[in-house]
Amino acid sequence: MVPTFIDKAGAGVLKAADTFGDFAVLAGRAFAAIFKRPFDGKNLLNQFQSVGVNSIPVVVLTSIAVSMVFAVQLAFGFRQFQAEGLASQVEGLAVMRELAPVITGLMLSGRIGSAMAAELGTMQVTEQIDALECLATDPIHYLFVPRLLASMVMVPLLTAVSVYVGFWGGYLILVGVEGQSAYVYGNEFYKLLAFRDLRIALYKALVFGMIIALVGCWKGYRTQGGAEGVGQAPTSSVVTSSLWILISDFFLTKLLLV
Amino acid sequence: MAVIDVVNLSKAFGPKVVLSNVNLQVQEGESLVVLGGSGSGKTVLLRNIMGLLTPDSGHVAVEGKIIAQLNREELFTVRQSIGMCFQMAALFDSMTVFENVAFGLRRHLEITEDEVRARVEECLSMVGLKGTEKLKPAELSGGMKRRVGFARAIALKPKILLFDEPTTGLDPVMTDVIGRIILDLKHELGVTSITITHDLKSAFEIADRIALLFRGECIACEKPEDFKVNPHPVIQQFLRGDADGPFLQDPPPPKRKIKEASA
Repeated sequence: MVPTFIDKAGAGVLKAADTFGDFAVLAGRAFAAIFKRPFDGKNLLNQFQSVGVNSIPVVVLTSIAVSMVFAVQLAFGFRQFQAEGLASQVEGLAVMRELAPVITGLMLSGRIGSAMAAELGTMQVTEQIDALECLATDPIHYLFVPRLLASMVMVPLLTAVSVYVGFWGGYLILVGVEGQSAYVYGNEFYKLLAFRDLRIALYKALVFGMIIALVGCWKGYRTQGGAEGVGQAPTSSVVTSSLWILISDFFLTKLLLV
Repeated sequence: MAVIDVVNLSKAFGPKVVLSNVNLQVQEGESLVVLGGSGSGKTVLLRNIMGLLTPDSGHVAVEGKIIAQLNREELFTVRQSIGMCFQMAALFDSMTVFENVAFGLRRHLEITEDEVRARVEECLSMVGLKGTEKLKPAELSGGMKRRVGFARAIALKPKILLFDEPTTGLDPVMTDVIGRIILDLKHELGVTSITITHDLKSAFEIADRIALLFRGECIACEKPEDFKVNPHPVIQQFLRGDADGPFLQDPPPPKRKIKEASA
């Protein structure tokens, strides 16, 4: 019998529910495993290094580039109606509330989420994850938890770095090129900001960190099919986590700004 | 009571039935060798014993505990008493040989680092790899990787050892070395073991009993001397290593064509 449209749609919905359910179960197991023993400090420190310290250059470079581009656009836009002074205020608002957390999240989903998917995917197809099971070690506890914790700590910290670098990116354009006063820029950048904005940025970064680690580990853990599967896992991880970062950004913004 | 009791075990992947009503019992200290063609379900049998797969029907009991009915914590407790040696070793490639062998010791035993070091050196010397502690798996040959895998499997002093095709892909000399190591481990540790292999020479050396899996079913499980004279045509064909016979589902190419081609 030729499958009808309804059959195909039903199969698609079931598959999507199955996929989401699988992710939710693994994510739940990862959070539950955080408090289980033994605590592997060395593994966690390695992940802090990998997720955090090694990501500083890419976060600094992208943050400065994006904040500079945004400053150029703002300076040009506000010049149209002689309101150049507002550029630094809007730059501050945009960097803190949106650019820093989202750019950091997207860059890290590409840098560390894909690395996690590739590493766990390779471990899966070379039976290293089965070896962990056979050595009476829960792979969720051993592999997911350090990556999740490292991402939950380091993505907010790197977002703070991104805000700081974003300030100097705007400074380079608005003070260095557009000729605004450095003193005025320094004051205006923070004028529209409150402590709540930093809190919102860090909350967003925390959620993005969870998404990056959980999606990266999940895609790697579920890798099948040898080299081809290992090749697809990072791509799929980056696409999925980037999408979820952007969608969750909308809902977090609506929720946290209320 | 058998240490490992496989009862009416069946497992299928989609329409392909891999194991069908397999029954096997392994007594304490016994060495069982499981033979069979590629895809006959040997590895699936081991994975069911380890709890890496769940049976469709039947069960596997290790020391009286039915594996599929255990929760994760209980399963991990049982697994600490089983050492598994994978076909391609499955060493953790981000760790050194020392860290690989020490992995289980550090996670499950509350012992000092000096004691870990002593145990790792003891295990590596049992498999003839003393002095390789600092090497990474990428720097090891296939035979060395298998032996590090053995050392990792015996580090926690398991009561049961499972070997999944330990000699596949190795040259005949290294195959003999691996066979001798398995024999040494059997005599020194007195463990219960199941070895899956295609190598008949080492199979007859290490086995107390030999089982043959054929199309998902266990068609023989007996002492090596009885197995050798078992008149079952599949067993005799397997022992001869001949392509002609009931062993293959698809008929092999006729021999004369090969002769013509070489002439």
